[in-house]
Parts: sequence; structure tokens; C-alpha cells
Amino acid sequence: MRLGYVWAVITKEGRDLLANRLLLGAVVFPALIFAAIPTGIVAFIEVNDLDPDQLGQIQSYLSQFPGLDPKLAAQGFIVLNFMAYFLLIPAMVPMAIATQSVIGEKTARSLEPQLATPMEVSELLVGKAISSATPAVLATWAVFLLYGFVNGAIADPALTALIFNDVWRVAMISLVPLICLLSVLLGIIVSSRVSDARAAQQIGGFIVIPIIAVAIAGFFSGQASFTMDQVLIGDLVVALLIGVALVAGNWIFEREAILTRLG
Amino acid sequence: MIEASSLGKRFGTLTAVDELSFTVGDGEIFGLLGPNGAGKTTTVRMLAGLIAPSAGSARINGLELGPQSQAIRALTGVLTESPGLHDKLTARHNLGYYGRLYGLRGATLRRAVDRYLGVVGMSAEADRRVGGFSKGMRQKVAIARALLHEPEVLYLDEPTSALDPSAAKTIRDFVATLRDAGRSIVVCTHNLDEAERLCDRIGIMRSTLLKVDTPARLRRGNGTAAVRVDLVGARRPESFLGLLAELPFVEGARTLDGSLYVEVADPRGDNPELVRALVVAGARIVGVVEEAATLEQVYLDLVGETGQRDARVGEEAA
Repeated sequence: MRLGYVWAVITKEGRDLLANRLLLGAVVFPALIFAAIPTGIVAFIEVNDLDPDQLGQIQSYLSQFPGLDPKLAAQGFIVLNFMAYFLLIPAMVPMAIATQSVIGEKTARSLEPQLATPMEVSELLVGKAISSATPAVLATWAVFLLYGFVNGAIADPALTALIFNDVWRVAMISLVPLICLLSVLLGIIVSSRVSDARAAQQIGGFIVIPIIAVAIAGFFSGQASFTMDQVLIGDLVVALLIGVALVAGNWIFEREAILTRLG
Repeated sequence: MIEASSLGKRFGTLTAVDELSFTVGDGEIFGLLGPNGAGKTTTVRMLAGLIAPSAGSARINGLELGPQSQAIRALTGVLTESPGLHDKLTARHNLGYYGRLYGLRGATLRRAVDRYLGVVGMSAEADRRVGGFSKGMRQKVAIARALLHEPEVLYLDEPTSALDPSAAKTIRDFVATLRDAGRSIVVCTHNLDEAERLCDRIGIMRSTLLKVDTPARLRRGNGTAAVRVDLVGARRPESFLGLLAELPFVEGARTLDGSLYVEVADPRGDNPELVRALVVAGARIVGVVEEAATLEQVYLDLVGETGQRDARVGEEAA
């Protein structure tokens, strides 16, 4: 693996992304929207008196926030419960970038001139994977930090500490990049089989189902947010899936196969 | 130098290229002519180290295809059938990217980009995104991309398609200078006129090479050229047939519509001697014209009509 080639691909893909306003919007807006909804609820609770009767089902979760008054505990529940969305950003955004990148190359027939250079297919794919995953990881981290500080500023610094807890720090550092990588690999694999970016994203969109399923199951089993065990098991499962995707991707992206099937 | 020996490529049950053998010397332009699906693109892809041959072998500047394909790709420039540019990037950034992939860096890269944008007449458009370019402009950038790293071996697939006559001539002239600089160049084209003007030798292929020769010899077909000699004066053309039969370089002669038709092997070498002998014998010559078949006639005789099989090969190989 020669880093010069990988860096050349990353630079090119970065320029491509910056020039593609629609795709750039797809990186930034979902993250902001996912963060804005709970923040809006926290602000709503902050400016309105909290009637414990209005809390309904949420009330049963408040005991998970000892030491916080009911209003802050309710806000704490809201910010933590919505944080599962922070795992949807790395699942969805890199796939959008990767599918656009591969299908764009197919449409423009620009894979062949790249493969005619001394660059190896693996260097091209690693460059594409990094350049597709990095914006999503950075967007997720940036919005995570923003989310923590803005909610702390709106309500109470205790919310910032709650958001930046050990579980989510580990999730941000390990699970987010891993999900990004899996999403990219799936995006590339799916893109090799279809000729339309939206179709690829729809097929690849199934990746979000397990994340939502775990979040919903956790909610109904009385969890306000993911546990450390769930995050670590998630790391392991996603890492295994990445291994499977790499084997499949290596088979699909053999130089000759790209030219005869995709080029 | 390109040396291909019994190269073959199969896609499943379909043979796209079969028993292809030819050499292209340093400082030579070799044209590959053939109908759609004849295997030209597959041949170039094999020789450029993009796909592996199913049979045979090839050496490019002494490097063996297969084990040394990466090194071969480094010294090879390929103009692909489709320009394949990155639309969101400017012409300069497109070339910069490929320059880096070919190992150019820093000032060397910037100089190469500027130089080849100038060669193809695109300096003024260097900082515009190629997505807004016309087909011809895209082709020019793709040509610059193929030349950027000054490759020793160059494959050009339809180099002047989509170019206006003036730009096409500029590119042809530049390719000729590359030949003069000792590069080995393979040109795939459907443009017979271009092949005749540009190529030192032409290979007509349909899965395999049907014929390889210089354009002039291909036109002559059987190896001789018919030279038409137009005469005026009292003496009838038939009266010179006896003289012509005695000339050692004349391989046949006849008369038609008041003119002599003389078959010679090398018109450029033989015509002066032929004219001298006829004038000495009293002929009053007003014109000497080489009557050769057109390359198109030769091509059509060899490949015939494009059949269904070719179309299938094309789909599979593309």
C-alpha cells in the first residue's frame, strides 16, 4: 500500500465532494437535524414549566438519572435517547458519498484511466473508503460536540457531562468510524451491482435497520440509551461485518472485473 | 518496443482476441483497424497491463506482461475510448490528479500540466470544470492526460474523434513528433484516412490480425501497384507493350482507354526508370499516376460486413 497514491485519491475525492453542493448538504444536514430535534425539545422543556403528569411513559426512565431534578432528568432522558441517531449519520452519509463516487465513476467511465496508471486497485479503494468515511466521522464528532455544549448551555452543564459520558465517548471513537467504514464498503459493493445512486443508497440503507432495532429494543426494555456492553458488542459485530465486506469487495473489485463489468 | 506473441483473450466462451502477434518498434506508429467488437480495445487493455491475457505473452520495452504489469503501466500512456474525466474538477485538477498517479510531484507536475494543456490548446480553459466542456474539449484534456508523464509507449483509442479538423491536425502532428522522439505508439481508429496519414504500419484485425503492412503496401494488395501512363501523339499505347515486357522491374502491362497500365513493385523507385525508358522509345507522356486501391477497399475486402458475432464480442469485452 503506497500512501502517495491513497493520498492522491483522497485529495481528488475531497475536491469532488467540495464541488458537489448537494452531496455536501447530505453530509451536514442530517447530522444537524438529528441534533436539532432533541435540542428543540430540551429548549421547550427549559422555557416551560414541567408538569410531571405530562411526562407519561418517560417518568419510568427518570430514576436512571439520580441526583437530577425531574425537569433536568427529563431533559437528560431526551438528549440521551436521541443519541442513537448519532449512529445513523455514519451509517447513512458515507454510503451516500461512496455510492455517488462509484456510480459517478461508472457513469463518467473514469475508472479505466485510473486503473491504467501504476495505482493498485486496493489503493484506489482505500482512498475512496477514507475519503467517503472521513466527512461523516468529522460531521458526527462535530455535531456530537455541538450537541453536548449547546444542550449544556440551554439547560444545565450537567447535560453536557451526561452526553459526553463514557459509553458515548467510546462509541464515538470506535463504533462511529467502524460503522462509517462498513457503510462505505457496502456502498461500494452495492454500487457495483446497480447503475443508479439512489437505488444503491436505498438497498444499502438496510444498514440502519439493526441500529434502529437495537435502539428501539433498548427503549422498550427500559434503557434511556446504549450501554457499554452494547457498544462493545456493536464494535465486534461491525468489525466482523467489515471483514466479510472486505473479502466480498476484494473479489468484486479485481481490476479486470471492474473493467469488464463496471468500466 | 511492443512485442506481442500469440496473445489471446476469452470472456467465458467468447474469444475476443485470438493468436495476435505483432511488434511495434521504437519510433513507430502502428494502427489497429477493425470493425466494432474486433478486439481492438481488449488488445490495448491487455498490452497496457489492465487485463490479463488468456493466452500468449507480450513484452513492453523488455518488461513482461503479467509479472511486471505495474511497471508497464508506469511507462504507458492510454487514451481510453471514452475521455473518462472527473466532471466536478477543473482541467488542471484532473491532470494534476493523474500526474500524481504517474509519480509526478511539485514543480515537475505543474510544468507538465501547463505544458500539455498548451499542447492541446486548452491553457485558457485550465481552471474551468470539465463538466462544462464540449466533447472535443474533453477529448483534448484526455489526450493531455495520456501524454502528461511522457510515456515511452502510447495507446490512443480514436484520438481525433470529436475534434475539429484543425485540432485533429494539431494532435496528429504532435503524435508524429512523439514518434520522431522514439516512442512506440498504437492507434486504434475507424478513421481510415487518419490511419493512412498517421501510421507507419497498419494491422487490420477481427479477433486476430488479418493483415499487417504499411498503408501503401496494403493499398496495393498483391504487392504491386498499377501505374497509369497517359500518352499523346501519333504512336498508339499498344506499340510500347513489347518494350515494357523487356524491362526487369515491370511485372505486367496492358492498355485501356488510350493509356498504359504498368504493374511495378515499387512505384517510387521504378517510375523514374519507367518514364525514362518510354521517353527514349519515343513516348510523349502527359501524366503518370499510381492507381492503387483505397485503404477502405482493402479494409472492406478483408473484414467484410460487420456480423452479429462482432457485436456480441464488443458487448462482452466492453
